[in-house]
Amino acid sequence: MLLVVTYTRGARRDLRNVCRAHEESVVRQFGRAALLSATEFGAFQALRLREKHGLDVQLERVRPFEPEDVPAHVREAARAYEDREVASTPYRQFASGRDLPTAEQLRGEEL
Amino acid sequence: MKLRVCGTTYEGQVVDLRSHPVAGGDVATAVRGARPLPVVDAASPGPVYNYCGRIHPAMGLRTETALAVAARSRGHGTAHDDAIVELREQLADLERAEPTLPRAREPVDDATVADLRERVAATRGRLEARETLGAETEAVEQRLTETAGTLAERETERTAARQSRRQRRERAREYRDRQAECRRLADRLANRRRDARRELLDRVADDYAAALDTVPGLPSDESPEDPFDAPPVPAGLAILRLARTDAPVVVETDRFRSPAAAADWLDAPVVRC
Repeated sequence: MLLVVTYTRGARRDLRNVCRAHEESVVRQFGRAALLSATEFGAFQALRLREKHGLDVQLERVRPFEPEDVPAHVREAARAYEDREVASTPYRQFASGRDLPTAEQLRGEEL
Repeated sequence: MKLRVCGTTYEGQVVDLRSHPVAGGDVATAVRGARPLPVVDAASPGPVYNYCGRIHPAMGLRTETALAVAARSRGHGTAHDDAIVELREQLADLERAEPTLPRAREPVDDATVADLRERVAATRGRLEARETLGAETEAVEQRLTETAGTLAERETERTAARQSRRQRRERAREYRDRQAECRRLADRLANRRRDARRELLDRVADDYAAALDTVPGLPSDESPEDPFDAPPVPAGLAILRLARTDAPVVVETDRFRSPAAAADWLDAPVVRC
């Protein structure tokens, strides 16, 4: 999918208009951003906004993301932490003494 | 004030132009200095004149904004003023210009480079084999030079394309970070100004209501419960009465017995049009 983020009022207004006019190409619309379908038409609309508003329009490609796409130890850490008994325990404290990666380790690993 | 209209110069606190074909809007604009004619020589108007420098039946009025401006003209400040100045300065200091990005380059396919590498290796193998055999090598050597040259070119292009892409993304991100920062500051400034306005209104609300009560010629069915719902003409007059008004006010309403009465009530120089 294509993520379109706008940084000015004018760009935001035009994005809204595009989304209204081409609902079939809009996967989801947020306040000043929208996900367009990954078609040439979606790209065409995104590029039109970029042509008109320059860097005030940010374009990104978004790939589907499922839990299975992530290494098992990350999934397990998330599951275990959300299952903790004391809600106020910070992750750092929770992870120490368990067989879980530290936050620093997680930060250091690219997906 | 001194005012020159149709060849006549008027001087004094009150000028009555009802017998002249002069538009009140033109006089008000001239008072603000945004028009050379008619020639007005008077104290320069404060910001409150942008809202109610000319009182006329067709006027609109953002009553609360105008009243807050009037309160400022009386020297009222608020607890938010320092923060407002600071936020304005921070906003002004932010570089807003869009950066120029390095030229975009066509990306070079990784497969193209891999393919060329393979061909270079294969050609080199063939060259070595021919050398071992003692066969003629010139043609193969030439092909190797050409292929290796193309490979080097493509690799350079690929590096340049990657670099340019990275720089483009970095600069765009910095710019957008600044844009986001601007938005944050602008939001905070807007909130502070709203709070400041609220505070200013609180300070002068009673004076305003009292002034509104004494606006001449206000029919009872025009008196709303909330003073801020008053129609533009009486609201504007009440605001002028409590604002600091050194510059001439253009009055185009019949509420006052005479232009002098208007000047007296408003405590301002008056041009009656």
